[in-house]
Amino acid sequence: MTTASPSTTGPAALAGPAAAGEATPTGRGGSAGRRRRVREAVTAYAFTAPAVLLFAAFGLYSLGYGLALSGATWNGFSPHWTWVGLDNYLDLLYRDPVYAPIVRSAAWHTLAVMIAVPLLVVAISFPLAVLLNSARRLRTLMRTVYFLPFVTSGIAVYLAWQYVLQPNGAVNALLRACGLGTLAQPQGFLGNPDTALPTVIVVMVWTAVPVGTLLYLTGLQSLDPCMLEAAALDGAGWWRTNRSVVWPLLRPITAATVLLNLREALQGFQTFLVMTGGEGAPGGHTDVLGLASYRLAFLEQLQPTLGLASALGWLLFAVAVLLALLNLRALRSTA
Amino acid sequence: MTATGAPARRPTARTRTALARTVVYALLAGYAVVSLFPFAWMVSGSLKTDRDMLDPGAFLPAHPTVHVLADTWRELDFFGYFLNSLKVTGLTVLGVLVVYSLASYAFGVLRFPGRTLLYRFFVALLFVPSVTMLLPVVLLESEYNLLGTHLGLVLPLVNGTAPLSILLLTTAFAGVPRELREAAMMDGAGEARVFWSVYLPAVRPALVTVAMLTAIPTWNEYLLSRVSLDRPGTFTLPIALQNLTNSGVPQYNVLMAGALIVVVPVIILFCCLQRYFVNGLVGAVKG
Repeated sequence: MTTASPSTTGPAALAGPAAAGEATPTGRGGSAGRRRRVREAVTAYAFTAPAVLLFAAFGLYSLGYGLALSGATWNGFSPHWTWVGLDNYLDLLYRDPVYAPIVRSAAWHTLAVMIAVPLLVVAISFPLAVLLNSARRLRTLMRTVYFLPFVTSGIAVYLAWQYVLQPNGAVNALLRACGLGTLAQPQGFLGNPDTALPTVIVVMVWTAVPVGTLLYLTGLQSLDPCMLEAAALDGAGWWRTNRSVVWPLLRPITAATVLLNLREALQGFQTFLVMTGGEGAPGGHTDVLGLASYRLAFLEQLQPTLGLASALGWLLFAVAVLLALLNLRALRSTA
Repeated sequence: MTATGAPARRPTARTRTALARTVVYALLAGYAVVSLFPFAWMVSGSLKTDRDMLDPGAFLPAHPTVHVLADTWRELDFFGYFLNSLKVTGLTVLGVLVVYSLASYAFGVLRFPGRTLLYRFFVALLFVPSVTMLLPVVLLESEYNLLGTHLGLVLPLVNGTAPLSILLLTTAFAGVPRELREAAMMDGAGEARVFWSVYLPAVRPALVTVAMLTAIPTWNEYLLSRVSLDRPGTFTLPIALQNLTNSGVPQYNVLMAGALIVVVPVIILFCCLQRYFVNGLVGAVKG
């Protein structure tokens, strides 16, 4: 939910106070003013020091370490790294007969998630927010209920999904009870290679709809009511108003929602790790890039795959930055 | 729209409005069911006996019991894990509030060389995938004997919230009228005093929002905890739950009891502080 904000509003939020504050010290001048400015700067450095130290240790140092490691082979225990230059990247991208195919199939799955999750989240959140906005009563209660999947997102809820999706679980029982027994999955929705990935995608969408709905809801409530009345006066019905007036006006929110979910789809793998395991069961059909990197880093025991894990992490980073830049350009061109 | 757009011209218009409203509420209720579906089954599963579990497709337990919940809480030591979770979450929230309200005050109120650059640095961290950071952080911590301790969880988790916390708090601090600061300075208050007595009370809603936005993901944190906590005495609730799945065939009634223990506190917290949380999320995106 957070990516959109700094790229679009962060620098602006910073520019605001700076512009307002600049007038005060220049007007004063003299040595008293300078002393005051120096004291202010020293205070500022002291105030930011804890954040900077933490950032240096767990941000910069870690990133540098990871980048260095991506150019080496190491199993985490032997005393020395073996430098291999860009070999890890090339191995992952096309060269290695074991890892390259894994990465390629994980990349296809990740791409599928990146297309399906944002699309579905927008397709569900927008109508849901419109409905919620037109319902005066129960709005607060509904909002709470709709928000639970986001608040609780984590292993507990994913295990509950696993429970209802198992072969003789609730979803299959419900389908059979409704006479839709042909849709039931005897192996369980997560056990069938054809349904496993779509099923995890559905759970990811279920987790992401709350934030999307909330964003659309705020967008709807900030719309100028005159605009909607004008549309109604022009004879536009409910459907027409929403499609031709509301939807275009809320395009920035759609952009933010898509970006947030793209980012989550690219990097997130917790749902997969919990629901289908570290290997992307069944048979790697739910393997995604984040999971592959996690597996190379933590689940390969004594194999020297830490360099590969780092390299894959940096490849993901590169794609994330690319997406962010594309988003920034898209926002600029519409603004 | 239907209600305002159709002033009862014909008798059918009113019935159409009523019909539309019924459809709206039916659809909303439908998604509410989808939203609550796994929670309902979590509750039902946690009330089932081992024998009831043989038919996991039945919603109502044939022999409802709270024994599984009670045993999970006591014998499986979920109370201890609960305390660990509380400790990690509490320390992380405290760390975030202290570290980033100080930093954000500097970014939002004070002027100093390198301010914009530093601010951008922090915000840029948002684009780093967590999986890229995970391995180096774990290696770094094992080198300094932090791995497996609660502090070893808290420090990177605090750092992980930096971009969002700084963004929200800087915006809040920058929105406080500068006259307050000037007036306090005139009265002889130092910078620390101005920060503590003037600015912190003024941005309290933002502080609560940041606390919520930190507490909820920290309570649910799984990826870092899973690879760093190795002694049962240090387990947090998500890891204790993970540990239950490792022991052979998953006993779903026990798992659902554990899951319920994990989600109930965070649901209660959310219901109490919902207003701040919702506003904070919206603020994070609108800036």
